[in-house]
Amino acid sequence: MGKIFGRYLKGDRTIWLVVFFLSAISLLAVYSSTGTLAYKYYGGNTSHFLLKQLGFLIFSLVVVFIAHLISYKVYYPFSTLLMGISIPLLLFTLVFGTQLNEASRWIEIPGLGITLQSSDVAKFSLVLYVAKVLSQYQKEPINLKQLTFKLMLPIALICVLILPANFSTAVLVGITCWLLMFVGRVKLRHLLGFTGVGAMALAILILVALQFNTIKRVHTWKTRIESFASSENDESNYQVEQSKIAIATGGIFGKGPGKSTQRNFLPHPYSDFIYSIIVEEYGWIGAIGIIMLYMILLYRAALIVKKSKRTFPALLAFGLALLIVLQAFVNMAVAVNLIPVTGQPLPLVSMGGTSLFFSSAAFGIILSISRTQSKKELFDGEEPVEDNN
Amino acid sequence: MSLKLQTDRHFVVSGIVVLVLLTIVIKLFYIQVIDSRYKFSAQNNVLRYVTQYPVRGLIYDRNGKLLVSNKVVYDLLVVKRLVKSFDTTEFANLLDISTDQVREAFTSLKKQRGYSSRKAMVLLKQLPVDVCNRFREQLFRYPGFELQPRTVRKYERHIAAHMLGYVGEVDENTINNNSYYQLGDYIGISGLEKTYEKELRGKKGVNIYMVDVHNRIKGPYENGKFDSVAVEGKNLETTIDADLQEYGEKLMVNKIGSIVAIDPKTGEVLAMVTSPSYDPSLLVGRERAQNFMQLQTDSLKPIFNRSIMALYPPGSTFKVVNALIGLQEGIVHPYTQYSCAGGYTVGRGVGCHIHRSPINLTEAIEMSCNTYFCHVFRNIIDNPEYGSVEEGLNVWRKHVESFGYGHKLGIDLPNELGGIVPSTSFYDKYFRKGGWSSLTIISLAIGQGELSATPLQMANLVSTIANRGYYLTPHIVKSIGDSLSIDEKFSQMHRTTIDSVWYNYVIEGMDMAVNCEPGGGGTARIAALPNIRICGKTGTSQNPHGKDHSVFFAFAPKDDPKIAISVYVENAGFGATWAAPIASLMIEKYLTDSISRPYLENYILQANLLNRRGKTK
Ligand SMILES: [Zn+2]
Repeated sequence: MGKIFGRYLKGDRTIWLVVFFLSAISLLAVYSSTGTLAYKYYGGNTSHFLLKQLGFLIFSLVVVFIAHLISYKVYYPFSTLLMGISIPLLLFTLVFGTQLNEASRWIEIPGLGITLQSSDVAKFSLVLYVAKVLSQYQKEPINLKQLTFKLMLPIALICVLILPANFSTAVLVGITCWLLMFVGRVKLRHLLGFTGVGAMALAILILVALQFNTIKRVHTWKTRIESFASSENDESNYQVEQSKIAIATGGIFGKGPGKSTQRNFLPHPYSDFIYSIIVEEYGWIGAIGIIMLYMILLYRAALIVKKSKRTFPALLAFGLALLIVLQAFVNMAVAVNLIPVTGQPLPLVSMGGTSLFFSSAAFGIILSISRTQSKKELFDGEEPVEDNN
Repeated sequence: MSLKLQTDRHFVVSGIVVLVLLTIVIKLFYIQVIDSRYKFSAQNNVLRYVTQYPVRGLIYDRNGKLLVSNKVVYDLLVVKRLVKSFDTTEFANLLDISTDQVREAFTSLKKQRGYSSRKAMVLLKQLPVDVCNRFREQLFRYPGFELQPRTVRKYERHIAAHMLGYVGEVDENTINNNSYYQLGDYIGISGLEKTYEKELRGKKGVNIYMVDVHNRIKGPYENGKFDSVAVEGKNLETTIDADLQEYGEKLMVNKIGSIVAIDPKTGEVLAMVTSPSYDPSLLVGRERAQNFMQLQTDSLKPIFNRSIMALYPPGSTFKVVNALIGLQEGIVHPYTQYSCAGGYTVGRGVGCHIHRSPINLTEAIEMSCNTYFCHVFRNIIDNPEYGSVEEGLNVWRKHVESFGYGHKLGIDLPNELGGIVPSTSFYDKYFRKGGWSSLTIISLAIGQGELSATPLQMANLVSTIANRGYYLTPHIVKSIGDSLSIDEKFSQMHRTTIDSVWYNYVIEGMDMAVNCEPGGGGTARIAALPNIRICGKTGTSQNPHGKDHSVFFAFAPKDDPKIAISVYVENAGFGATWAAPIASLMIEKYLTDSISRPYLENYILQANLLNRRGKTK
C-alpha cells in the first residue's frame, strides 16, 4: 500500500484515503439496488446499475489521478481564459435553455458525448479566478476600487447568470467566494459592505419575481382550464417526508447494506437523496462517517494553507475544498430537511453527471498542490513516505 | 505571489464550516430520537392497505318490516400527482356541483390528515349513484381520479328518527381511542346505531398489496396471507311496531311531547314517539351537515329525544304511586275516607276541583282528588313510626325508586336520563337542615315540585301497575343476527317494594277514571272504548313555561294487559283534553288495528298545540 502511495499516488495520503472511502461508499450505496424490493421491481437487472456505477467510479478515479499529476501552475494563466469561456456559456444556456426546458442547465460537448452543466464549469472557473486575483494582492492589501472591479463584479456577474437556472449553486458559489476572500485577507468591513449591497439587490430581485408570479397566476386563473395537478411544493414535501422516514428507520447501526426500502420511494435515491439512503442502511456510523470524511478534507486543505509558502496554490486548494464541503453540506441538509429541496449532488458519492467530473478534478487539483509542496513541509512530524511500510 | 498567508483566517473559516456540518448531526438526532412520527409511516410505504368495508346490518320492526337498509354511494378519490389540467366547469357539471365547490375540494384536499400527492385521497364524499354512472363514462378523460363505493343508510319508512339514530364519520377523538376506526370510517352516532354499533358494523377486511415507487399495485403481499375478509354486520330485529310508531308520529304532528308504549309482559317498547321529529333520511348523504345544522338551530329542538331525555313533572299520574306507598305502609286503607271541599287547606293549601265528598281511595284516583293525596302523603312522611320527617322522606323515596324513578332504567339507547326523586340532603340544602316539613314539600303529593321523570319512566310505571308490581327493563332490540338471546338484564324482573295485592285498588280507580257511568266523576272518560277496558290516569302538570302539560298514562286490556302507554303533550292543557284521546287511539290502533272513532282522530290530527309557551292557562 505504502509503495503504491509512494510510487503512483503522490500527494496527501489522507486526502487520497478520503477519495477512496467516498468512492467505496458510492459503490455500496448503489449496491443496495440488489436489495430485495428493487430486485423484484427492476426485473433483476441490477448488474446494469452496478456496472454503470463501476464505470463512473473508474472514470472519476482516472480524473483524480490525471489531475493530481498535472501541476497546479498550469491553471494560473488559464484562469482568466476559463472565466472568459464561462460567461458566454452561461448566457447561452440562459437564452436557449428556456426553449429546451429541462435541458436548460446542460450543454453537450460535441464529439466527446459528455454533457456539461454550465454552472459547474462556471463555479470551477470562478474559484480559480478568485484564487489568482487574491494571490496578486498579498504584498499590498487590495484597495476598494480593485476589489470592486477585479473581484466583486465578476463574482456578482457569474452568480447572477447562474441564479435563474440554479439558485442553490449561485448561493453556494457566492458563499465560497466570500469565505475565500475572507481567507485571502480582504478587509472584513469591505466584505460586509458588499454583502449588504448584495442582500439588498437580492431582496429587490425576489420582490420583482413575486410580482411576475402573481401576474402569471392571475392569467391562468382567467382561463377556464385549471391545473389541479400536484405542484412542485407537493412533490418536495413528499420527498422530504420519505427522506425523513429513511433517516428515522435507520437507527444507530442502520438496516444493513442493500436493505433500504425507502430507496423505492425517493425519486433520486442515488443523487439528491443518497445521504438518506446511507443513513437508512448504515445508521449513525454511516451518517457521521460521511460528515467526518468531508471534515477531514477541509482540515487537510487548511493544513496545506498553513504550510504553503505560496498563496495561489493555498487559496486554490482551500477554495476547492470549501466548494466540495459546502456542496456536501447542502446535499445532506436537504436530506435532513434543514433547507428546502434543491438538486445538489453529494460530491464523489452521488451517481454520475458533470458534478462527478468536477468533484474528481477538484480533488485531483488539491492533491496536485499537496504533491508539489515539499515533503518536509507537508508531512511535518511524520515519517518520509518512501520508508513507511 | 510568493508571500505566505500570514493570518489564520482559514482556521476561522474551517471552524465555521465544521459548526455548520454539526447542525446536520443535530437534525439527524432530532429526526431519529425526538420526533418518532416517521418510524411508523415506513411500513405504509411499501404496502398499500385497501380496506374492504362490510355492509351494515339491517333493522327490522317486530313484524319483520324493514326499517333501515343500505344504499350505495361513491366517494371520488384522486391521486393528485396524476391529475392533468381539465375544464373545471365541465367537471363540475358532470358531478352536479358548482365550480367553487371543485376549487374548495382541491384546496381542502391538502389539509387532510396524512395527505400525499401520490396516494388516493378522498376529494368528494357520497356522490349519488346516477351522478357517478355519468362520471364513470367520462373517467378516462380525468386521469388520477377513481370512484370508491361506500354504503350509507336508506330509510324504508320515514319514522323513528330518534330511536334509530344516525350514522356519520368517526371523529378524531374516537380514532385516537379506538384502534378499529380510521379516518373516513362510518360509525353510529346516536340511537340504536350507537348502542348496537359493534353488532351493526360487522368487521372491516383488508387486502394488503405491494406497491412500487409510483404507488402502483404489484400484487398481493405474501399471496394474501395477511388479508382478512370483511364480515357483514348483523341485522337487528326490534320490538317496535312500525305501523303503531307511524300512527303515533302522525297524531303528534304539531304537538310537542312524547308517546311511549310498552308491552308490560316483556318490557318490549312498541312505539317511542318524540315530537317534533324529523325525517331520518335528512341525515344521510352530502346534505347531512347542512340539514343537521338546520335541525340543531330549530327552536323546537327536533333532535332532542324527549322520550328518554326530557324531564317532566309527572303530575297527577304520580298519585297512584303515593296511593300504593300509603297502602303498603298501612297509613291508608282502601276504605279510608277524606272529605274535600275545594282543596287542602293547611298551610299554603292545594286547590281541588268540584266533586262529591267524602271519597275513598279508589274514588280519589278516579276523580284525581288533590286533597285526598295531600292527606295520604303527609301521613306517610309524618308517620310517627319513622321518628322524623327525614326518615319519613327516606322511606317514601325508597318506595318511589323501586318503580324505576330517580335513576336510569337502562334502555338500550344512549343518553337516557334518570329523572329526579328529591332526597333529604336535597331539601337540607334547598331549605336548611330541620327547616322543612311534610307541608313544605306537599307538592310531591300530586306529582309536582322537585320531582321529575322521563316519558319512558312514566310508561314503565304504568307497565308496572299493569303487571301488579314488577317491570322488565324496557328495550328496543329483540334479537341480533341469528341469535335469539339478548342481554340478560332485559329478562330480569324488577319487583317494587309494594305487595301485589294493593295494586288492585289502584287499578280499580284507574278503571273507573275511564269507564265510570256518565256523571260518575271519572276524569278520563274520553279515553273509553266500547270493547276494550282501558285503565288510565290523567295528569295536568303545572310548569313555569306557560300552559299546563297534558299527561295521561294507561294500560289495556284490564284483565290481560298487552299495552302500557304514556302520553305527554307540552303546554297543551288538561290531561283529559289531549293526552287521553291520543293514548286511547294508540291503544285501539295496536289492539284492533283499526280506528272506530274517526271524529276523535280528526280532532287530534287537526290540533295545533305549538307556540303555547308563555301563554297563561
Ligand atoms: Zn278533591
